[in-house]
Amino acid sequence: MSQVLHPIEQKILKTLIEKQNLTPQELSDKTQLSIDQIRRGIEWLRLKDLISIQEIEKNFVTLGPRGIEASEKGLPERLLVDYVKSLPISTCTLEEARNQLKAEFNAAIANARKNGWIEISENKITLKTFLDNSLEEKLIKQISDSKSNPLSITEINDTKSLEFLKKRPDFLVVNSTKTMTTTLTEKGKESFNKFQTVSHATDSYVVRAIDVEAPAPTMFAARSHPLRDVIDEVREIFVSLGFSEIIGNNVQSSFWNFDALFTPQDHPAREMQDTFYLKDVIASAAAKPDQIKKVSEAHKKGWNYPWQNEEAKKLVLRTHTTCVTIRSLADQKHDEARLFSIGRVFRNEKLSYKHLAEFHQVEGVVVGKNVTLRDLMGLQTEFYHKMGIKKIKFWPTFFPYTEPSLQSMIYNEKLGKWVELFGMGIFRPEVTKPLGIKNPVLAWGGGIERIAMLRYGLEDVRELYENKFGWLRSVPKCQ
Amino acid sequence: MPVVTLYFDRIKKILGKSIPKEKIVDTLPFIGLDIEEESADHINVEYSPNRPDYSTDYGIITGLQGLLGVKLGMPRLKIKNGKDLVKVDPSVSKVRPYVTAIEARNGTLDDETIRQIITMQEDLHNGLGRRRKKASIGIHDLEKIKFPLLYKTVTQEHSFVPLESETSMTVKEILEKTETGKKYKHILEGHDKVTVIVDSDGKTISLPPIANAKLTEMNTKTRNLLVEVTATDKNAAEGVLAVIANTLQIAGFELYSVKVTGAGNSTPVLKSRDLVLEPELVNKTLGIEISNQIIVKSLKKSRLDAKLRGKKIVCSIPRYRTDIFGVMDLVEEVALGYGIQNLVPTMPESVSAGERNNITKILETVRQLMIGLGYLEVMNFELTSKEILYDKTARESSKIISVADSKSQEHIILRDMLLPGMMEVLSRNIHESYPQKIFEIGTVFEKDSPIKEGIHLACLSAHKDVNYTEVKSVLQSLLKTGFNLSCNTVPQKEPMYVDGRIGSIMINGKKLGSLGEIDTRVADNFKLRTPVAGFEIKLSGLVFD
Repeated sequence: MSQVLHPIEQKILKTLIEKQNLTPQELSDKTQLSIDQIRRGIEWLRLKDLISIQEIEKNFVTLGPRGIEASEKGLPERLLVDYVKSLPISTCTLEEARNQLKAEFNAAIANARKNGWIEISENKITLKTFLDNSLEEKLIKQISDSKSNPLSITEINDTKSLEFLKKRPDFLVVNSTKTMTTTLTEKGKESFNKFQTVSHATDSYVVRAIDVEAPAPTMFAARSHPLRDVIDEVREIFVSLGFSEIIGNNVQSSFWNFDALFTPQDHPAREMQDTFYLKDVIASAAAKPDQIKKVSEAHKKGWNYPWQNEEAKKLVLRTHTTCVTIRSLADQKHDEARLFSIGRVFRNEKLSYKHLAEFHQVEGVVVGKNVTLRDLMGLQTEFYHKMGIKKIKFWPTFFPYTEPSLQSMIYNEKLGKWVELFGMGIFRPEVTKPLGIKNPVLAWGGGIERIAMLRYGLEDVRELYENKFGWLRSVPKCQ
Repeated sequence: MPVVTLYFDRIKKILGKSIPKEKIVDTLPFIGLDIEEESADHINVEYSPNRPDYSTDYGIITGLQGLLGVKLGMPRLKIKNGKDLVKVDPSVSKVRPYVTAIEARNGTLDDETIRQIITMQEDLHNGLGRRRKKASIGIHDLEKIKFPLLYKTVTQEHSFVPLESETSMTVKEILEKTETGKKYKHILEGHDKVTVIVDSDGKTISLPPIANAKLTEMNTKTRNLLVEVTATDKNAAEGVLAVIANTLQIAGFELYSVKVTGAGNSTPVLKSRDLVLEPELVNKTLGIEISNQIIVKSLKKSRLDAKLRGKKIVCSIPRYRTDIFGVMDLVEEVALGYGIQNLVPTMPESVSAGERNNITKILETVRQLMIGLGYLEVMNFELTSKEILYDKTARESSKIISVADSKSQEHIILRDMLLPGMMEVLSRNIHESYPQKIFEIGTVFEKDSPIKEGIHLACLSAHKDVNYTEVKSVLQSLLKTGFNLSCNTVPQKEPMYVDGRIGSIMINGKKLGSLGEIDTRVADNFKLRTPVAGFEIKLSGLVFD
């Protein structure tokens, strides 16, 4: 047995060796420990199987309303003799006594006689010499004195008087209470004999041994948000694949969010029911004059409608991070580059278990003279491998600003099914040419929350933003 | 994205060849369709609105025929010369200038075919038709119509019996009272007169873009149809008409032209167009080396026509393929015909070393320090509500930046501060154990020609003994350990904080934030019964630009 007992446990065991069947209160009295310490100690010892706990029923006696009255003023028989004693000749008629004691008269007479305090003859009461306290009076005093710590019936020796007083109405109240008592188990007795305080003395003080097996209080490590961890992981993979990070604003002109990406101004995706437009404020300029001129021409040619600068100046909360990458490409005109952007994007959606109005997206672009669709598929595959995803397939899809366009499907082992993840494509010539981008641009990306949901096994995407400490404190950082 | 229901028995009939169900289901994604739901007798698929020819099972099966090798090349429209006429009155040019039409004869309609046609009509209205603004469609029972038709304008007192009504209504009533009237009347805004198509008996057959007449409604007994498309853009009108004509031809109808004259209108020509494709562009873009023959075959599998001309390929595109803008679209058609699954991913070598953005690196440092100081990171939305951002925190709300028409009441205003959202986080966690210490790093917005975005750091500490000094220690430690900076805190007043327990954070003589104990009334608004203290500080302009 490798147990080391806490001082509280030691004291309790020692006390129980001396006397069994103690209540927590009794243990507390005997050990001078607080009732809380005793309760804790009992629980520890019980878990170690050193003591056992019995629930026993105990009857406690307290005074009823008439009992209290009697303890203060005296019992009716005492009142009777006191009255008679106060009379000049220490005697009175029954009539006089009845007037004095009223309803208590009969009880007073009967008990006074029983106690041998009075004699009655010819309608007259005379006192005897000895008026010692009766047994009932003693019992009432005893019960009254132990008001703060009610007497158990078993503690009363004078059972005769007890029964007698119980019969007198409203003198006594008997409450039954269940009480916990503790006894040593066989193991406990044995352990007491064996237990020793493991300690070693150093020069000047003694180190008390503790229970090294005891549970310790819970602490919560401060940490980054689980969604942040996924964002960081995605960022790290992009960096490892040779991509440099660019950052852009959340608020963009419609020009960069839509027009530059060949999305016509009457396209349904631009409607307010899908996109957040800022109220009462517009961009001072949609883009640089040359960019506006060339992009608007591409729109007129491709979509055959009157393109409007005012529409392009409307400010939106970006619906994708592509506006950041395309703007950087248009301004920097790289011949060769690997860039990525990661950040919040916004959609005017009603929140549900699968949709948020605001989420994170990552997008990478590769600019190069000889880059191909197969390269794009290869980069995507490598990205997934680094995320620990092995089974991947590609399907055609449609994006307004890429051609060809693909979507990737990944096999999720936990769900046992194919899940749509990142989209990709090569920027359309209608996008790149007007902005002066000469080489082909591969682009790929998608939502991060989707990956986080798969990672943490969430079924409701909103949980990621609820910031419930229960979840934040418990979800493992590595998985 | 719009959804089409495909019944397997119809697929079998229209496809023209018996192909196992699994093969069909497996092929659908490779023509660009997303499978929504599959059951024993049908499958629902989503298609991209750029392919309106996929708005019926007929169109989808046409695509499948190519990839499955059942039928290759472009479906040709066989349009016989018809003699019926639509005359256009010049008055329409200010309202909705173009009309175009075609007849489809000798076909049969069952309930499912009618349902498919109606779904197509709705999808075309929403997509190419831009919610009927650009183009709208009427499909009529030809037998009920006496030619020639006249496309003209009338006043809003003009009346007829519209579809889904039993009685005659004036245009005004239709616009005010019917469902579609209310939904689309905005398109006619600013016009006193509206356009109608009437037949030679003067009967109204349609009120574009609002409603068609009850008179010409099609049903399962209808054998001959008139399709008319009115539009603000002639090209869009013909594109829409081509999609419908192609679909009805596959459904077994014979097509007859309808002459259109007057006011700049002309009889629609739904002919294909040619694009010249350089094989090199295909190979270079896809990263493959395939022969011209394979390119031609791949295009044909994508239901286009293609032939070699010297070293180039001439590709013919049917009129209904409004999604094809140029040669790059043809490269995708080759990829689809060749089979995406046949493209093997390759890994290009990187010419550059990747790097995180400098701001990201600094934010990461701040995050690490806050975690080291015992604070848990939280992430809130940037869009929030006035209640949380201003009302509950007793802050002045004169510079609200809000979005228009948000679908959610809790996401209307761009935050200008992080702390209110973080108070809400504490509020949601009152049942969790204390101490609670949280921080957030995030973007905030400020009105400034037009909008300025900045990155803030904020933290809150909540437990029974928290005070000003505790959070000041955190701030000092962060600034010193992270950036070798020190700060002064100068007394100030802000209703969010307890008077006398709040200071402005001054660094190098600039005010960059506030620090203090949160006012109990504010805490109370968030149902917090524990004292809270914290700070919020601008990082933009302090540790990066």
